[in-house]
Amino acid sequence: MKFFSLQKLMIAAIVVMGVGAWWLFKPSAKIDFSTEVKPILNKKCITCHGGVRQKSGFSLLFRDEALAKAESGKYPIVPGDPNASELVRRIHSKDPEERMPYHSEPLSEQEINILTEWIKQGAQWGEHWAYVPVQEVALPKPSTSFFGLFSPSKPAWVKNDIDYFIYDQLQQRKLDPSPVTEKPTLLRRVSMDLTGLPPSDHLAQQFLQDNSRKSYENLVDSLLASPAYGERWTAMWMDLARYADTKGYERDANRDIWHYRDWLIKAFNADKPYNEFLTEQIAGDLLPNATDDQFIATAFHRNTMTNDEGGTDNEEFRTAAIVDRVNTTWEALMGTTFACVQCHSHPYDPFKHDEYYKFMAFFNNSRDEDTEADYPLLRHFSGSDSAKLVAVVNWLREKGFKGEAAKTYRFLKTWEPTYNSLTTDHFINSELNDTKWLAMRTPSSARLKNVVLDRRSELIYRYIGFVPGGTITIRLDNVNGPVLLSTSIKPTKDWELVKLPFTQVQGTHDLYFIYNNPSLKDPKASGIMFDWFYFTRPLPGQSLPGYDSTNKNFWQVLSAKNIPVTPIMVDNPPEMFRHTYVFERGNWLVKGDEVKPAVPKSLGALPKGAPNNRLGLAQWLTDKRNPLTARTMVNRLWEQLFGTGLVETLEDMGTQGAEPTHRQLLDYLAWQFMNRYNWSIKKLLKELVLSATYTQDSRVSKEALEKDPLNKFYARGPRVRFSAEQVRDQALAVSGLLSPKMYGPSVMPWQPAGIWMSPWNGYTWTRSEGEDQYRRAIYTFWKRTAPYPSMISFDGVGREVCMPRRIRTNTPLQALVTLNDSVYLEASRYFAYRMQREAKSRNAEDLINKGYELAMYKPIAPGKLKALMELYATALQAFTKDKDKTCEMIGTNNEHNDPGTAALVVVANAILNLDELVTKS
Amino acid sequence: MTQKELHAQRLLNEAREASARLHTRRHFLKDCAFGFGSLALGSLLQSCGLGGSGAPAANLFDPAHPLLPKLPQFAAKAKSVIYLHMAGAPSQLELFDYKPELMKLDGQDCPPSLLEGKRFAFIRGVPKMLGPQARFAQYGQSGVWISDNLPHLSGIVDEISFLKAVTTDQFNHAPAQLLMHTGGPRLGRPSMGSWVTYGLGTENQNLPGFVVLTSGGKFPDAGKSVWGSGFLPSVYQGVQCRSEGDPVLFINDPKGMDRDLRKASINAINKVNEEEYQEYNDPEILSRISQYEMAYRMQMSVPKVMDITKEPQYIHDMYGTKPGEAHFANNVLLARKLVEKGVRFVQLFDWGWDSHGTDQSLSIDVGLINKCRQTDKAVTALILDLKQRGLLEDTLVVWGGEFGRTPMMENREGKQNPFKGRDHHTEAFTIWMAGGGIRKGTSYGETDNIGYSSISGKVTAFDIQATILNQLGFDHEKFTYQFQGRPFRLTDVHGKVIQEIIA
Repeated sequence: MKFFSLQKLMIAAIVVMGVGAWWLFKPSAKIDFSTEVKPILNKKCITCHGGVRQKSGFSLLFRDEALAKAESGKYPIVPGDPNASELVRRIHSKDPEERMPYHSEPLSEQEINILTEWIKQGAQWGEHWAYVPVQEVALPKPSTSFFGLFSPSKPAWVKNDIDYFIYDQLQQRKLDPSPVTEKPTLLRRVSMDLTGLPPSDHLAQQFLQDNSRKSYENLVDSLLASPAYGERWTAMWMDLARYADTKGYERDANRDIWHYRDWLIKAFNADKPYNEFLTEQIAGDLLPNATDDQFIATAFHRNTMTNDEGGTDNEEFRTAAIVDRVNTTWEALMGTTFACVQCHSHPYDPFKHDEYYKFMAFFNNSRDEDTEADYPLLRHFSGSDSAKLVAVVNWLREKGFKGEAAKTYRFLKTWEPTYNSLTTDHFINSELNDTKWLAMRTPSSARLKNVVLDRRSELIYRYIGFVPGGTITIRLDNVNGPVLLSTSIKPTKDWELVKLPFTQVQGTHDLYFIYNNPSLKDPKASGIMFDWFYFTRPLPGQSLPGYDSTNKNFWQVLSAKNIPVTPIMVDNPPEMFRHTYVFERGNWLVKGDEVKPAVPKSLGALPKGAPNNRLGLAQWLTDKRNPLTARTMVNRLWEQLFGTGLVETLEDMGTQGAEPTHRQLLDYLAWQFMNRYNWSIKKLLKELVLSATYTQDSRVSKEALEKDPLNKFYARGPRVRFSAEQVRDQALAVSGLLSPKMYGPSVMPWQPAGIWMSPWNGYTWTRSEGEDQYRRAIYTFWKRTAPYPSMISFDGVGREVCMPRRIRTNTPLQALVTLNDSVYLEASRYFAYRMQREAKSRNAEDLINKGYELAMYKPIAPGKLKALMELYATALQAFTKDKDKTCEMIGTNNEHNDPGTAALVVVANAILNLDELVTKS
Repeated sequence: MTQKELHAQRLLNEAREASARLHTRRHFLKDCAFGFGSLALGSLLQSCGLGGSGAPAANLFDPAHPLLPKLPQFAAKAKSVIYLHMAGAPSQLELFDYKPELMKLDGQDCPPSLLEGKRFAFIRGVPKMLGPQARFAQYGQSGVWISDNLPHLSGIVDEISFLKAVTTDQFNHAPAQLLMHTGGPRLGRPSMGSWVTYGLGTENQNLPGFVVLTSGGKFPDAGKSVWGSGFLPSVYQGVQCRSEGDPVLFINDPKGMDRDLRKASINAINKVNEEEYQEYNDPEILSRISQYEMAYRMQMSVPKVMDITKEPQYIHDMYGTKPGEAHFANNVLLARKLVEKGVRFVQLFDWGWDSHGTDQSLSIDVGLINKCRQTDKAVTALILDLKQRGLLEDTLVVWGGEFGRTPMMENREGKQNPFKGRDHHTEAFTIWMAGGGIRKGTSYGETDNIGYSSISGKVTAFDIQATILNQLGFDHEKFTYQFQGRPFRLTDVHGKVIQEIIA
């Protein structure tokens, strides 16, 4: 904002005054709310008069509140009239009981003047920069003369537009940028950054030998086109999506949701524009003619936890999942902490308490209800099932039943919208078994509320019949009401589907399910258990040719067993609509006013014509006027490459987040991302890595380090430790063990015994076979209550909830992982064998030279070689003396079983542990 | 303010921020005189309502040296904690809460007043009352009632403060354990030990600051989350020391790598890293060098401290150890050794106290007695041993479960269980504390005649957490971590220090 006003001012100065010392003309003494007033309010006032507390009925969070009459009957702020403003009187007061801030340090004279002047000028509210839509930003090209009247010269260091912003600040701080780093370092840096892996030999040689000006850009293009690119960025997104292969909570049972992980990889590789990428994840199911992939994308918000523990309230945990979706949407996609608005208005940012629940209303109509099966699910058909599905839908379409075709397709693919039996109540001698499914003893009844029966004449339900005999009777409106249908129940071995006709009735009814089975003698035993109910009508077109086979296909596809599934989003049809209420003080049991879906006022409204559902929400989220979406992603990508975001707090760009180091650059990039690159992540990344800023040498002098210890101003290249995934993947890649296999169910590589010891759940860690042991880290099975230990040691997160930022630590336990974890031992062995294969001789020096070069893409420095040679000699001596140790170090008695190789394994292990190996330089 | 002044002020703020960071980093490296007090507290003190500066509330910890010792907020009475958690929830009615009235009701139908509006984990219909299945007597000068299940502990009651009216609102194991240790019944919050190591670091850099030991054959129901770091940096999670395999994950060198060779290898790694440092001047390299040195020392110190075989025979006799087994007594002895070596928080979980009566091992009449036999001697020895070493003064020992057990006999699904058992009970149970500035020989809180409800001195998990933090020198309301836009604390928005049991 300040930037723009300066620009305008400059133009004004030039136009009006011609040349002259513009800075002598102060900007009209207009007080700026964001930079001058808001900091005072935040610091001195808002604790008592803000979102959490409104002492004396006075709040300074929103203008309308601040201008309103306080409890005292006085007006704290009268715009334009400081003398009539109680606030002004109170900050001047000498009476300690009156003076504000109450019983604290008085405001300084300057602060008092600012507030007084601001009220005099009309007490205009301003907005925090992050809540103002992104504007196009002009480049801060350094001028060699006044006001840019002459054409600016381009500093030699600058390579692209990003660099102008960086250079500008460096100059202001009297810091000098660094030159381009040497090729091998750059090669490794950009390869690890873009693909999460060291470069292939081919790519490395091509780049190292190509001295043309385009060689770096060519390398970047190849890396962006590599399939490994998608895997690397998926690793980042999995923390945001809180991806896990288990459902969480005590039981923490397995969940098949890996199709979503694969969707991410494909989406990143295809460079799906970020606006579409988000739209499909938030509302793919609501897109017209949604494809399977678009449904799978919605698993983003099905990574919430499901509580399978018996005795837990399904509505409580359904609500917890919805709340999680709201918080994740804000934190991950809009860099704003919204969670505090759950209990009260935001203490500092312009979000009101009820706005949380209005936003939650977008999510509150998804079909999921904390069921054990994780409904709704997308059913992945293959072979003949798939063909039959197509045949059914095509037949309906051909015969002119378009609406029915769509409805049938959705039902066959998702078993939705069905009534889950766990929503039944009024149990008489029946109960929810393990609080999951309606189980009925004899005689018993239970109620299913508010079922719309208009134009329905068929019931499909999923059930287990435990014993022979018995009937189910469904009665309308009470246990003695008119009979809707009555049927005898067949015993089953497993869940089965049944279809029954019933006489059509009008209206919405409570249905009473009554079970009776005189042959069931044990009064405590259940005779039947229900999963879900679906009230429908027979497929239309009975009299048309092909009806019978269509009907048969329909049933076969519907009841097909062992179909792989992925949890997805599906919304309630209008008849199952859930109302959303404000939770008083965030307590889900204390419901306040009903609310309708809406976005917070301070961030505009849904775009014109957008539906008032998740799809509309996605359109608002990806609208170019949304101030947060592009900024958040740009900031995140910057952090991934440079180690720290332009706003350090990736999770919070609000007034409580860190100040951006380069706000104009952030806005510039956000604008480019949306408008020039049309939301292409690859294009944005390319721009970032081609900048002089990125390609700088990361060496730093002690003096420069002193000036900018955290490299906030980028006078040198990034130097940060790799992520947990990168550390593992690199070791496997360097040793030649890494499997290039992509996609599919998560795998279980080597893990120490005794990591999984959950009571009451029979799941075990069964080591994967063959190449599945050496897949990239993103394919490792992720159990929420017992994540893969080496990932956690390297700052991986538990993934119970969205983690927008990992915090890097440096600990001895990390050293122990790379020194001793069997994964790294095995990598060391294969790394040593690879050295032997590829070195020009078996001479130790050649071997070590080769090893270092394989890892670092450059020759080893003499001092480093000496240290490793000494280690080799020591190890060789030890192994020569002790053949058993040799054997142990090699592991198996193979052709490598000699002291020299064993010693080389020790050296290989040392190389994999070097700071420069685990660090991006 | 003019633009120019504004700019100047912004520069000044930035400079301040930078120097604060530099200072923190250095100061953590060199001296810890101000630690938390001067820097971290400013941000720690922020809360939804108490926010101050308008600046982002950073969570100040040094990522390069996250475990260096730091000073607490005020003078602490305890330096370390040993928390003995009897997972499954032991019956207070057979151990501490003597209810002769309940005996009179034994075998009678439970009065409806105790059942109306209540939910139990397994009890259905109308259960029978179950009288105390143990004999009680008074012990020590304090005259505390203890059952004959605890013949050893009864000798040291004058060292202990009993909390007899602890309550919870969670009647399933996992959420109740999470509530007890993380301040919330759901996954995702940091455990008490993580908070403590975040706040205090650890005194012995060659050992983890927060150690977890388990026995009884299973993990607690809530799994590793009860010692997880939640939203705190993962470095603060509990490190499980195991009796099988590596005592700490990856602490053992691979086969074929002896200590000399490992030393040579770490030396070589560090020499190369030093060269790298000469070139890059990145202080992170120096800390990696020291972390590798520390890892090497940990490899020595962890197995050494985990090895109880070198302890004298009288110590083994005192604790009743079973060397070579994953046994509670061994873990208790280890806890003493770890605390002696400067470990900040030692968390024990012993599984098998869930006395429903569904089988012999999980019953009041057999299983509970066996669990007492396995543990009573060791727990008592711990207090005596800490005392004789002068460690009890600044070591806080806590003993308890996640909830209590019903005065009614459990009738699962309305049927009688094969053994005598009690269901989960949230309204009254006993936890005790000793050492670390806790009053000696006292009882706080009372239950009604049959031990069903707490009638006075009611305390919750939050109060216990607040008290533990208080003994360690922290105001639980001001000890926070900024996450999801707000400061979080162990006790959420609850908790009150139990002054009545503080010496």
